Amino acid sequence: MEKIYILCVEDQREVLNAILQDLAPLEPAFFLEGCESAPEAEELIEEIDARGDFIGMLVCDHVMPEKSGVDFLIEVNRDQRFKNTRKLLLTGLATHQDTINAINNADIDRYIEKPWNAELLVRLVKQLLTGYILDQGLPYEKYLPYLDTQILFERIRK
Amino acid sequence: MKKTQVLSWLKPGIAILIPLFILLIPADRLLPGMSVIEHRVLALFVLAALFWILEPIPIFATSVLIIVLELVMVSDQGFILFRKSSGGEEWTNLLSYKEIMGTFASPIILLFLGGFFLAMAATKYRMDQSLAAVLLKPFGTRPKVLLLGLMGITALFSMFMSNTATTAMMLSILVPVLAVLDADDPGRVAFTLGIPFAANIGGIGTPIGTPPNAIALKYITGASSISFGKWMVFGVPYALILLLICWILLQYFFPFKTSSVPLHLKGRFLRTSKAYIVYVTFVLTLFLWLTDFWHGMNAYVVAMIPVAVFLSAGIISREDLKSISWDVLWLVAGGIALGLALEKSGLVTRMVGEIPFAGQAAFLVLFLAAFIGLLMANFMSHTGTANLLLPIVAALGTAGLDLGPVGGVTGLILGVTFSISVGMSLPISSPPNALAHAAGGIETRHMAKAGVLVGIIGLIGAMLLVLLLKSFNFFQP
Repeated sequence: MEKIYILCVEDQREVLNAILQDLAPLEPAFFLEGCESAPEAEELIEEIDARGDFIGMLVCDHVMPEKSGVDFLIEVNRDQRFKNTRKLLLTGLATHQDTINAINNADIDRYIEKPWNAELLVRLVKQLLTGYILDQGLPYEKYLPYLDTQILFERIRK
Repeated sequence: MKKTQVLSWLKPGIAILIPLFILLIPADRLLPGMSVIEHRVLALFVLAALFWILEPIPIFATSVLIIVLELVMVSDQGFILFRKSSGGEEWTNLLSYKEIMGTFASPIILLFLGGFFLAMAATKYRMDQSLAAVLLKPFGTRPKVLLLGLMGITALFSMFMSNTATTAMMLSILVPVLAVLDADDPGRVAFTLGIPFAANIGGIGTPIGTPPNAIALKYITGASSISFGKWMVFGVPYALILLLICWILLQYFFPFKTSSVPLHLKGRFLRTSKAYIVYVTFVLTLFLWLTDFWHGMNAYVVAMIPVAVFLSAGIISREDLKSISWDVLWLVAGGIALGLALEKSGLVTRMVGEIPFAGQAAFLVLFLAAFIGLLMANFMSHTGTANLLLPIVAALGTAGLDLGPVGGVTGLILGVTFSISVGMSLPISSPPNALAHAAGGIETRHMAKAGVLVGIIGLIGAMLLVLLLKSFNFFQP
């Protein structure tokens, strides 16, 4: 059975751990992975894709050494393999220009400011993954307890 | 991890090994006089049953698997070594490959396709939402009455739309209602359970309401065949009465604490020319379905009219066409193919002949068959249950039983079909149940408490209905 991954990219280890911990309630259904830099994430994405598994969701910081989060998301956005992958920018330090860039070129789905509210984060990730599963044409039945039911109902009534 | 790995192989393992084992046992040991083809069909039947119950693969995939296995193993164009005996002679009772493939386009399937087109157009032009808003208005804000309204509209819609889509739509209407109720108000459960229950019950109302009905129609043939309108004459009242009982039970089990629930639905009928085409076609199709005695076109032929109209008018586009629930159509096709093989090979007559029925009261046979249907439907797909059970039930007419007291084999089929549709005591019983469970706020025990009771009442009701219809000589051609 294919696995759906939630990938979190954040250069500060303790912040990354906090994000992973907040998203842990989704673990039974989805696979959580953390990366400390964009290049590391790029490598992991290739690996997951090569196994035939899915990148459902990227939760990404912006200001990171080596490569910025927005630049990383722009590249993912250009890749047709990940056209349904949902992108959430989680940052406190993006400039106005970065934000415009993230919306126009990385086509991000959600933007959350640091410090973040754990409940909000989980809710948004659930919403986005519900859309991902339906767009990707995966059977939603086995993910039911972890989906946003309102979005699910609106979509499957058609 | 290891344990789940073992479990993930256990299901397909059992589902494949048991039928293989059956193939290895000499035919005469299983059922005396059984032919080679019957033997293979028996193995296929067991395979279908295990696959539909255990679901190692999706249920529609099982259907297609059955059709392909039939083509390869028991058809007149199958694998050469399967067609001939060791003496080199062709087996006599091979099935026609055209007939097996034809199940994909059987009139039953096309009737459903017509229903899908109606539902798809109605949803696309927001007829469902506008209608729901208009119909819900008179029910006001008292939670009891509002529950009745929601359940009534759900039942009405599920007569023409799929039970799953109706449930999803009505649950999405329900979310704002639940938001104003206290978290500990038992009425939340009543609302959330009312929708899937009403969808399952409403599906009974018309031949296109739910796939088991279509499969039942397949086996009610010849002089006793039932028209669309004739089905509704008994299907709708049965559904309505059961719906009312269900409504009363839900209030009793989960009483409302609040006295008023405001519900504002936005919904305005579209007034574009295409929308009008949808409204008119919908009403016209329904009218034609109900008046076949007058114009002579049966339900299957009428079902093709909306297909042609919506495609010609550009109401259903190429993209819409791709979103048709082929899984449901093929699930039914597999059931028809299985029934075909059981009947044409002669196996089902032989099987039924082996069951010691002689001298049993017809009523007891009806009860047992309906009870088995209800039981199975609680644990597996309703369509899967109908696919497995109805061909056998249909063959009971040939078992030398006097079915007169229950209106013949037609009465038997209807009783069982209705009982299958009221199997809804668990989240796994039907997709509507699963969706309501996912909506939150209800526990499995809530669903079981109300669902078991409604199921039993539905079963008794179905038997009373059959007896009532019999006393009116409804089953006489």
